[in-house]
Amino acid sequence: MSAPPPTLRLLVCGSADRGDDGAALNAVAHVLPRLGPEVRQHLEVRRCIQLDANDLIEVADDEACLVLDTVVGIDPGSVVELDLDALADRATVAARSSHALPIDQTLGLARAVRGTLPRGLFVGIGGKWFGFGQVRSRALRDGMAAFELAIEAAIASLAEPVPA
Amino acid sequence: MHQADLRFQVQNLTRVEGEGSLHLLVRDGAVAEARLQIFEAPRYFEALVVGRTPDEVLDIVSRICGICPVAYQMSAVHAFEDLFGVTVDPATRALRRLLYCAEWIESHALHIYLLHAPDFLGYPSAVELAQDHRQLVADGLRLKQIGNRLLALLGGRAIHPVSVRVGGWSRAPRRRQLEKLQPDLHEALRLARATVDVALGLKPPEFEREPRLVALHHPAEYPFNEGRIVSNDGLNLPAQGWGEAFHEIQVPWSNALQARGSDGLPYLLGPAARIALDHGQLHPLAREALDASGALESIRTNPYRSIVARAIELVHVTAEAIEIADGYEPPAEPAVAWQPRPGTAAWATEAPRGLLFHRYEVGDDGKVAAATIIPPTSQNQAAIEADLATFAPRVLDLPMDAATHALEQLIRSYDPCISCATHFLDLTVQREARA
Repeated sequence: MSAPPPTLRLLVCGSADRGDDGAALNAVAHVLPRLGPEVRQHLEVRRCIQLDANDLIEVADDEACLVLDTVVGIDPGSVVELDLDALADRATVAARSSHALPIDQTLGLARAVRGTLPRGLFVGIGGKWFGFGQVRSRALRDGMAAFELAIEAAIASLAEPVPA
Repeated sequence: MHQADLRFQVQNLTRVEGEGSLHLLVRDGAVAEARLQIFEAPRYFEALVVGRTPDEVLDIVSRICGICPVAYQMSAVHAFEDLFGVTVDPATRALRRLLYCAEWIESHALHIYLLHAPDFLGYPSAVELAQDHRQLVADGLRLKQIGNRLLALLGGRAIHPVSVRVGGWSRAPRRRQLEKLQPDLHEALRLARATVDVALGLKPPEFEREPRLVALHHPAEYPFNEGRIVSNDGLNLPAQGWGEAFHEIQVPWSNALQARGSDGLPYLLGPAARIALDHGQLHPLAREALDASGALESIRTNPYRSIVARAIELVHVTAEAIEIADGYEPPAEPAVAWQPRPGTAAWATEAPRGLLFHRYEVGDDGKVAAATIIPPTSQNQAAIEADLATFAPRVLDLPMDAATHALEQLIRSYDPCISCATHFLDLTVQREARA
């Protein structure tokens, strides 16, 4: 018997070797074993070091999406949850370099190409240290339990397909 | 009659890699100065590699750029192997060309579709472009994705790859892994050929000049990692010999050193130079596309046609990638053994934006004692300024916004990577009347 198709794609962003940037990877590693198999079977987990428009464009129409990352601009260790559309509509500081699009433009590009963004959420935790080889900051470590709870709650709210 | 002072100012040029500004001084209706002001602080990579082993250098220099990290690794690894007398497995040589193909695919797709096409089609960015031309942007993103996937397979990750080592690789891919990518690569070739049609349909502003063009040239293949440094005015040097014909100077308005020929004149690197000097070595499918386009001459003389040159090169790299992947047999060992020796290691390869030269002094301890890295954008700065000065009089009578946009578009034609050179753009045009 084949497994049912996933209904929720987790996009786990960040680098484990860059201090607080690896928070989402760490949190997912803790959260997944706590989920029951009836929830886990609905999940498709993908790592993306840096969120790319294609990561969102490829989400199937009947799939929801949960984007997890460490963020700056909020207190380190605090947790933020935003609807993907709301995040796309937020004005962020204009990027001067095209090496990396800011997340609102990444989402905006995906929305323009895809027609709509997938149903979904962004859950982030404020980070402080992002240097290569750095350890995670105390502030972030203090916020990890709340981050994991927020991820679990987001999975619970998104994993069930929306009735047609 | 005295004309009033006039300043054009663009605080931050968008859709280029990095940060900087442009200052134009117009005196009595003539352009007196055209300065590309690169104000980002120097990044000190040449100091960071001092005291490091060659393999450490490969990982460090790949951090110079998120778009063309392979270029930095390739110039460095070939420089060290040349000094140390290392002969790599033919499969490694082919894989390194494939790695460069991957980088050119993602870099050229990014520039054509997301950075440059919005200029021609009248959109402020790819986001707005995608709202009206969804498939066009989707195709560009797909091409970029395929390049990144190939890069991740060969390099260990798509950005700042880590698998290149002196003598070969830390891990060579399996044949089956490359076979699995073939459908993607064939799709990329189809998209690349369509990209040529897209680029040819974009009407360039009228502007012709006769630039001095410099690129690597190899008799049997389109230049990536090997070849001689040649120019359209007769230069012909080994890849180690950049310093025999070129030198760097410091100008007060740029944190990136500028490069000039020994005659003090600017020169241009990049896709247009390669197409002009190396079109005979293009893959037959790319050569066919170039011939059908009839654009060879305009690519050489009109900088706005660089978008066509990139599209032609996209056909080349996707077609070559298919052939390399198809014929791939893994090397017997990921890397051959080597021993460091003291001396000067120098080499040039072709980054997506043009010739990238590295020179390292290796000490008796096998570690780097001094380094010089000369990226293509810093070499192109003087040519960009010269073209801006030539082109600007054509737009000074336009409304401010239109003039500014035309100048920005010209700069974007060179696909400057200021974060490599160091960083870039904010435009000021100042008009002064003579007393």
